[in-house]
Amino acid sequence: MIRRSTAILSAVALAFAGFVISSANSQQSPQPVKAVQLMGLSGVKDNAKGTLKVEGNQLHFVHAKESSDVSVTSIEDVVTGADTQAAVGKTISTISIAAPYESGRFLALFRTKIDTLTLRYRDGEGALHGAIFTMGAGGAEAIKKDLVAHGAHTTAAEEHRTTPAPPSNPPGKEQRQ
Amino acid sequence: MNHLQKVIFWLSVSTLVFTAPPLSAEDNRPAKIKAAAIQVEMIQSDEIQLPAEFQIALYENLIRQLEKQGGFEHVYRDGDRRAASASDLVILHSTVHGFKAGSERTRKVTTVAGATSITIHCQFTSPDGQSLLNRDVSGKVRFFGGNLRATYDFAKKAAHVAHENFAPPDRRS
Repeated sequence: MIRRSTAILSAVALAFAGFVISSANSQQSPQPVKAVQLMGLSGVKDNAKGTLKVEGNQLHFVHAKESSDVSVTSIEDVVTGADTQAAVGKTISTISIAAPYESGRFLALFRTKIDTLTLRYRDGEGALHGAIFTMGAGGAEAIKKDLVAHGAHTTAAEEHRTTPAPPSNPPGKEQRQ
Repeated sequence: MNHLQKVIFWLSVSTLVFTAPPLSAEDNRPAKIKAAAIQVEMIQSDEIQLPAEFQIALYENLIRQLEKQGGFEHVYRDGDRRAASASDLVILHSTVHGFKAGSERTRKVTTVAGATSITIHCQFTSPDGQSLLNRDVSGKVRFFGGNLRATYDFAKKAAHVAHENFAPPDRRS
């Protein structure tokens, strides 16, 4: 009876340990997040599409078979925000201008939610740089947590997912397509 | 022949009358302040709550536009240690005084409403803190484009102000 309960306890302990190890591994090497670099990253064109990933002590932005890296320890501030962008692309948006009675404006009502990730970091000379990324809803917070876990600093409180808008304005979060 | 001479005379006189005022105005234009390099401090927004992406977009666009059309030999970023040894350096301090977050959706649907605007006080100082030039510069996006386009508009205007008022020490134009 004692042997049987010991075996059950051991099995439970092993299963728990396996779960903990797998979850820890998943935190260390998260999946790359598809992102658009709006501006700021050195050597990367504006609106470049790529993937963001935190690995080691580096933030990698992989785009067009090239990788731009920022040392996590050089990051002074990480801020996430919520935003929206037009649901239709530029081509359809342009074509819709020709629609009769300006009915193409109807398409502007459809927008999709996105996240923004804003970084402030310093280079080797101490010069301050900034970079802005957009990504699918929910992606920015995971990257931010990874960055903070690896030593990046943040001034925004963890609970505040969105940047507060000025009190005189409605919380319009549309900032850039 | 006499008639032709009269015509030429009056044409010359009228040409002088019309061209003289702009020439004199150009002479009265204040001399540009000598500056070879500029250091751009991070945009401050203590009184106005400005979204982080706006703050960074203002800063990055400002540096780009100053490099492009500011007329300076060097443009240094906030905290750049190389600026300490730069000669004829001016420092640009920018403080947000007004911000109205518009709506791209409203702009697209109505055309006339939903404008985004931002007003920033730009102070150019010497490295020892002496004020050289103060200007309020605004950035707007009224019809087309995302809200962050207002930061580009501001940066272009601020770089133009710098170009109009500063020149490298060896030239005066």
